Amino acid sequence: MPLGGVIFIAIFVAVFGIVILFAASRFGTRKYDPVKFESYECGIPVQEKKDTKISVKFYLTAILFILFDIEIIFMYPWATTFRDFIKSGNGGYVFFSMLIFIAIFIFGLFWEVKSKALEWE
Amino acid sequence: MSADVFLFWFLAILTLAGGLTTVLVTNPIYSALSLAFTMIGVSALFVSLNAYFLAGVQLIVYAGAVTVLFVMVLMMFDLKHELITFTRGKISGLVKAGLVALFAGLIVGSVLITSDVFSKSGGAPEAVIGGDTTKALGTILFSKYIFGFEALGVLLLIVAIGAVALARSKGGTHAK
Amino acid sequence: MGHDIFEISINAIKLIVVFLLIVQAVPVLVWLERRGSAFIQNRLGPNRIGPFGLLQLAADAVKFFFKEEFVPANAVKLLYYAAPVIALIPATLAFAAIPLGQPVQWNEYLFRLQGYEINVGIVFVLAVSSLAPYSILIAGWGSGNKYALMGALRASAQVISYELALGLSIVGMILIYGTFNLTEMIQAQQAPLSYSLLGFTLPLNFLPAWGIFYQPLGAIIFFAASFAESNRLPFDLAEGEAELVAGFHIEYGGFKMLLFFIGEYGHMIVASALMVLFYFGGYAIPGISLADLNQWTADHTASANAASLLAGLLTFVCFFIKLSIFLWIFIQVRWTLPRFRYDQLMDLGWKTMLPWALFNTVLTATFVYLAHL
Repeated sequence: MPLGGVIFIAIFVAVFGIVILFAASRFGTRKYDPVKFESYECGIPVQEKKDTKISVKFYLTAILFILFDIEIIFMYPWATTFRDFIKSGNGGYVFFSMLIFIAIFIFGLFWEVKSKALEWE
Repeated sequence: MSADVFLFWFLAILTLAGGLTTVLVTNPIYSALSLAFTMIGVSALFVSLNAYFLAGVQLIVYAGAVTVLFVMVLMMFDLKHELITFTRGKISGLVKAGLVALFAGLIVGSVLITSDVFSKSGGAPEAVIGGDTTKALGTILFSKYIFGFEALGVLLLIVAIGAVALARSKGGTHAK
Repeated sequence: MGHDIFEISINAIKLIVVFLLIVQAVPVLVWLERRGSAFIQNRLGPNRIGPFGLLQLAADAVKFFFKEEFVPANAVKLLYYAAPVIALIPATLAFAAIPLGQPVQWNEYLFRLQGYEINVGIVFVLAVSSLAPYSILIAGWGSGNKYALMGALRASAQVISYELALGLSIVGMILIYGTFNLTEMIQAQQAPLSYSLLGFTLPLNFLPAWGIFYQPLGAIIFFAASFAESNRLPFDLAEGEAELVAGFHIEYGGFKMLLFFIGEYGHMIVASALMVLFYFGGYAIPGISLADLNQWTADHTASANAASLLAGLLTFVCFFIKLSIFLWIFIQVRWTLPRFRYDQLMDLGWKTMLPWALFNTVLTATFVYLAHL
């Protein structure tokens, strides 16, 4: 079972990163200066953060990504078993049911493009 | 204690800790991040059950897509101040934990009542162990559950249209 | 991880070596990138420290160690420090699943030249890479800076958008080989190339049966999408110096910055390795089949152990050469193409690459169906 290996290397990498950051933080000089620790905004004084408005397009992109991602995930088991289905004589059936699924996918994508949901200005 | 059993308890405790943090932490961003951690833990538990493909799907869809959306949206709107005032107080955490426990109890109870988990000796079903679960999953999905699969396509389409309609509606707080 | 203490310790060392491969590849790649860009732009590049400036990055690393430790006042400390560490994990986990050479048979032990053998390798690599947006988002939000947050949102929106085309372009490969297993996929690419359809066969024996000959469109989409996944030019909108200064890592410096670098180059290495694996025959030496190679090493060495070891080494070198070619293409493209605008980037991902990848899937399915009828 590869799970032990995956967990081992994940923990090892995390420990490696933490040790490196810790070691690097010991060596450097530290001098306090209030201006230095301000957020970098190209030299002008920091503006209040609350006003930051971010386009709803990011949210839309993320949610459409989830939906299409799920549809793509369903193609994976289909792709691995497709040849087995052909061999057992059910290839046409599975092929056309996937074509219907892909047609729905394409219709969804077409609709999103038409409704300008994917338009960035 | 064999390595597999140790691994199971290790993962189960990590996953539960992640879940508890999700509920008990007041900062929504930390909450969403620990939700992601919980999802990763659940996926590792799937691997320990030999359900490799499901583990991958759990990571791709839940940890890699749904929770990324949560984190993104929380960061976009930066609800920190509003939510901290909303969830302040010692009672609130207890109430949340209690509600979650009640809910989890309901789900576990209904599963236990409707299935016969206790009648078997426990462990994964025989056919799953060592077999190629991915191909088995594909075979059953595209023969027995083919209608559900097509229905899912339509359902996802409806959700996509609904999401776009919501995001485009005028008059909300974030309309242009 | 193994049956006895010897196997377990070898496997653990293997995993650490795979991780260190990525870590040590970064200075070499940075050097190559700087010298390469200088070569492309008709400059000299770093040439003072060591032969051809090769030790430049060692000097840089020493400098990084003595940089001042800096946390911006607005930052959320825990997340600010966690982000660079998390950035290392997805690329390492993905790279460890990639077979780098033929397995070595040493007495009764079989050592695979990869971190761990996973039955659903493709799904694992995709799943682990899909966790990459977290470190970007955590860095952007954790540094408490407007530019960093904007850069993080842009970068993660870009990464997830291209993940669709990336995931879909591989479906064609899976259809042809019918497996998620990376080793099986390499073995399927060993035979000489021949196209067969409806009972007709067109043999092209002088070419190997590499994926690129079956899936040219899929290969192009996959390669382009992996540029976007690893945030490289022409898709490095996250950094976009002119608009966002440096994107999500604006507040980072010193070793924290270096860890982000390792993560980014790690994604690049994983993308190149997958490209080699899916479309260019993996670790197999072009023109020589694995069976011939094993025969040759058996003839030229004294014991079976040594023969297996030599074959593993030769295939590893071959994989490494193929990998370097793709890494160089990454660098060449970076210094050749200008950056996209953000709307162009999103249009390319959603309206061009996704439909083409869908088309590729349907086309492949049709051909597979006709060929096996």
